Amino acid sequence: MTLLEFASGPGLQWALWIFVLGITWRVVGAVFLLSRKDISKPRHTNTISAGLGAVWSRSAPAPAFEKKIRFQHVTGYAWHFALFISVLFFAPHILFFESVLGFSWPHLPNSIILVTAIIATAVLVALLIRRATHPVQRFISNADDYISIFVVLVPLLTGILAFTHFGARYETLLAVHLLSVEVMLIWFPFGKLMHMIMTMPARFQAGTAFGRRGVKA
Amino acid sequence: MNTEAMSLQDFRGKLKEMPIDMPGRELTDEDRVRRAKKAFAQKLNGHRAVDMDTCLQCGMCAEACHFYEATQDERYAPVYKFRPLRRFYRREMSPMRWFYRAFTRDITIADLREWQHLVYDACTGCGRCDMICPMGIKISAAIRVMRHGLAGAGLVPSEMRIIRDEQRDKNTLFGVGAEQLKALVQKLGTQGIDVPLDRDQADVMVLTTAIEVLLFPDAFAATAKILNKAGADWTIRSDAFEAANVGVITGDDPTMILAIKRIVEKANAIGAKTVLMPESGHAYQTLRWDGANEMGVPLSFDVVSIAEFVAAEIKADRLNLKTQSNGASVTYHDPCRLSRKGGVTQQPRDVLAAMGLEVRETASNRRENYCCGGGCGEFVLKSAADLRQKAFEIKKHEIDEAGADAVVTGCSNCRVNLMIGADNSGWQTPVTSLVETVAANLAD
Repeated sequence: MTLLEFASGPGLQWALWIFVLGITWRVVGAVFLLSRKDISKPRHTNTISAGLGAVWSRSAPAPAFEKKIRFQHVTGYAWHFALFISVLFFAPHILFFESVLGFSWPHLPNSIILVTAIIATAVLVALLIRRATHPVQRFISNADDYISIFVVLVPLLTGILAFTHFGARYETLLAVHLLSVEVMLIWFPFGKLMHMIMTMPARFQAGTAFGRRGVKA
Repeated sequence: MNTEAMSLQDFRGKLKEMPIDMPGRELTDEDRVRRAKKAFAQKLNGHRAVDMDTCLQCGMCAEACHFYEATQDERYAPVYKFRPLRRFYRREMSPMRWFYRAFTRDITIADLREWQHLVYDACTGCGRCDMICPMGIKISAAIRVMRHGLAGAGLVPSEMRIIRDEQRDKNTLFGVGAEQLKALVQKLGTQGIDVPLDRDQADVMVLTTAIEVLLFPDAFAATAKILNKAGADWTIRSDAFEAANVGVITGDDPTMILAIKRIVEKANAIGAKTVLMPESGHAYQTLRWDGANEMGVPLSFDVVSIAEFVAAEIKADRLNLKTQSNGASVTYHDPCRLSRKGGVTQQPRDVLAAMGLEVRETASNRRENYCCGGGCGEFVLKSAADLRQKAFEIKKHEIDEAGADAVVTGCSNCRVNLMIGADNSGWQTPVTSLVETVAANLAD
């Protein structure tokens, strides 16, 4: 079995199993830690609407805070948009998703994907440098913060190398790229990449809690 | 009105007399850690678990914290203030604990002692950090769990322990109990202000606080005048008048529940339809939002802040106020627990507007308002004096920028802290209360 055969076969299968089961385990575990129903008399009863409102409103900081966190606000959007475009609209990626999901969608030209991948990589490196140098972020950071950056950064870098056929045979670069993605999938449920799953529920619960008090979250 | 009150200087002297080293409960270090963990486990519900699992450690919350802003000390980043709780969650309660345990250090007594400063001195629980978090994490709720843990471990700071024990054991605060309230009521009677004390039945049961009785009796007198003017069927009970809850402040559940229970049982006994809360943010939050949950049953009465009451009475045309025509302006300081955590934000502004006062907002206002710097009992801690003053300076700067003639607030604790800050820095802007402003403008 070649490295590429392993990476695209059992390696990928195991990584996907760990990814799915790990996420399920973590979400179910949090659900089992149930909270008591709030029985205080609500000021506003439409808490679902308040919860959904918070999912939306927390996508941008309140004006009183925006200036202080502009760097993170802007880089946050740049990073996520560039990453999702690179992952979801690259033709070979779509072929892979089609093989798993059974359907596909239009792809973007490779030149655009290359640009978005470079932007995503550059922003992530900037965020890494900030984490290592900003007094607060450096102070509060733990291994998870750095591991989670590296396991996403490496697939981006190897993806760019594979795309540009730079530094080694294409098959080798592709295998390394696939393996790096698998490492990310395996790490996902253990670290803070889980925020991809947890962010919306967390915002929603904040919205409902504030909403019943008549406060816009 | 001019009811004789303890001077601010005398009150500050009273605070200074409180020992900072009163011996607490004797426990071994192991017991303290065990009891802290037990409290953490009791309070770590599904909501907090989602919070623990969602935190990105982005550090944005630091930018909302007045203590971080004032000092640039990274330890004051709110996310750091609940670090031991997160470690406990990861090691002992997370679905991934079997994995995290290998990489997550256990809590030690040294941690608990270090975090005593971070969660009592350096956090007023104002919740401004809750508003900046892009994940929607209720950071202040997590820090509140930290206080529960430290209270369980017997590590509540000395001054807070003194007033907690006083409320729990004597049903008094700062020496104010039934006798002091009765004396105040009698004095108000001589001034023609009728206070229906200790009635067995009433629609409205009014609460006050020791701070009001001691320092701001005019606020209580104002409440009485407003209620009488509105024709309310009300009383205040000398055996259950204290709205402040030091159990909430310290994180001590038994005291918190006892203080809530005293009010709830009395309100039920006299058939109150409404319990009217004085100008106290934490007291409002506690009874309004925690009361039913701590009692385990819905409350049989409404909990209404005096600001809400006045706004509703004006709207219903039961209370008429004189309208200022001299162009006077005020800045309204939102008490965190009344506004950001309580939803009483627009009502005080409506009341001020009804008196023709121009409300000049601070740059950060309403749900993003800066704390006065001394909330959640912080104002009694001598170890927090410097931090408190630095946080106050931020507030002061914003108020100065607003350029109003005076500051009005709806919380006597905020008022004390603003006055102490002003006293320390020679700040001249008058600080007054909403209820007193209303009473001074009651139309005939």
